[in-house]
Amino acid sequence: MREAADIHKLLDETVRRERGWLISSLVSKFGLSKVDLAEDVAQDAIVKALSTWPYKGVPDNPRAWLRRVAGNAAIDRVRRAAREFGIDDDWDPASDEEDVITPSLRDPELDLMVLCCDPAIAPQDQLFLALKTVCGFTAAETAALFFMKEDALAQRLARAKRHLKAQSGELARFPTRFALKDRLPRLLKVIYLMFAWGYLPRRGESLVRADLCREALRLSEGLLAQTDGNTAGHHALHALLLFQIARLPARVDASGRLVTLEHQDRSLWDQTKIADAFAQLEAAKTSETLTRYHLEAGIASAHAEARRWDETKWPVIARLYELLLDQAPSLAVAVNGAVGLMLAGDLDAARARLDSASAYPHAERFPGFHLARAKLARLDDDPDAATAALAAAKACETSAPMAEHIERELSLAV
Amino acid sequence: MAKFVLMLPHAPDRYTNLGEADFMELMKDYIGWVEDMTAKGKFEGGEKLMDEGGKIVTNSSGSIEVHDGPFAEVAEILGGYMVINAADYDEAVEIARSHPHMKHNETIIIRQTDASAD
Repeated sequence: MREAADIHKLLDETVRRERGWLISSLVSKFGLSKVDLAEDVAQDAIVKALSTWPYKGVPDNPRAWLRRVAGNAAIDRVRRAAREFGIDDDWDPASDEEDVITPSLRDPELDLMVLCCDPAIAPQDQLFLALKTVCGFTAAETAALFFMKEDALAQRLARAKRHLKAQSGELARFPTRFALKDRLPRLLKVIYLMFAWGYLPRRGESLVRADLCREALRLSEGLLAQTDGNTAGHHALHALLLFQIARLPARVDASGRLVTLEHQDRSLWDQTKIADAFAQLEAAKTSETLTRYHLEAGIASAHAEARRWDETKWPVIARLYELLLDQAPSLAVAVNGAVGLMLAGDLDAARARLDSASAYPHAERFPGFHLARAKLARLDDDPDAATAALAAAKACETSAPMAEHIERELSLAV
Repeated sequence: MAKFVLMLPHAPDRYTNLGEADFMELMKDYIGWVEDMTAKGKFEGGEKLMDEGGKIVTNSSGSIEVHDGPFAEVAEILGGYMVINAADYDEAVEIARSHPHMKHNETIIIRQTDASAD
């Protein structure tokens, strides 16, 4: 029996996924200038579809059902809009209705994704735009994901969309062909950010937003299929996503609690994905430059190849974090690097690293920073300092399972 | 097991001013309930009625008159109906109590079908 919570989740994911697909397909059909219309049409169609399911139950294949119903609703809406907006110069809805449902472009979602990565748009806004259009998140969901006020997000989206609509010509029609090479680093960044948010939500009930992680992996796969694969860092990023997703089943226990790497049941790791990840990592060696994705995938691979926690090659991991810190300095990298140094046995270097991390403005509000301090204090045999650090971690805003984890650590420490 | 029809009326403007997200949440409640009842073998089927339109055909002293449904003036319009399986009215009422329609609207009308017509 499907539980109510499962139904909600299934509907949320199906709707989100299909909304993105519909918007992308419609944009590929009518052009970027009609991105708002595409969003409206997709939403109308979904509402229409959802309002009938209460009477019929969820169809066996909700996605196919939704595409059919939404596709038909889209055609109706577009017929009306065609008159309203004078869209149609060369498109006769009667002659190729199928095309709304089966778009002519090879991958409309990828096309739209490439368009969202317009250099005129700020990187974070590119991500918002991609989530809202390509991935089908509503404005409210996107805002919640980034802890923003919905109207603030709406303003940024509106500005980003103005840039988007201003694109024209061949680029707007066949973005994948013309802009992919130039924009690939941005695309990778957006995929990386999407994954990062999914992997460690900073607020909310779930520890992992697996749907975001899978979405990022899917887009990365689609990109790999369309490029020559020699782009710096792409294989490495793909390897990183695979390594992390492979470990997800072990990261949360049956009751939704966080299980740290040290205590994970490694037999739950998805070995097929890990094998794929190592193949991607091998392919990543052909890259001309060493990207941050190479380093992060390297760290993930060191964890993946350790059969037990105490077989982990910490000196290698610590070294990779140091390189990563040179290339992409951030609070999280500094903190994780410090933990790597601790476990490699170099407590003085770890201490120095944590000191430098404390200079980051958000350090006090990052629970990982305090957890690392607690770990160091314990290695120093200073239980009072460890308890104080855990208390500071507890004061940070984080996801519910992470908060519970901190609580448990705290109760063990006392 | 007897069949019962649940008629689900709602205020004419119940859904017109509802935000998109709220509407979706509401529908998810309904869909979840139907899935649950289907799994329990209680749900037979149903039809959603179109929101717009409707005709009333009357015989006025021998001449048939057709009117558009004057739905704007009535307190409630019928949104749709569902058919459920229940042993008797007591069980049918119990099932109706758990219906999300009772959370999001006000009334469910229950009528047993006459099995002797089958």
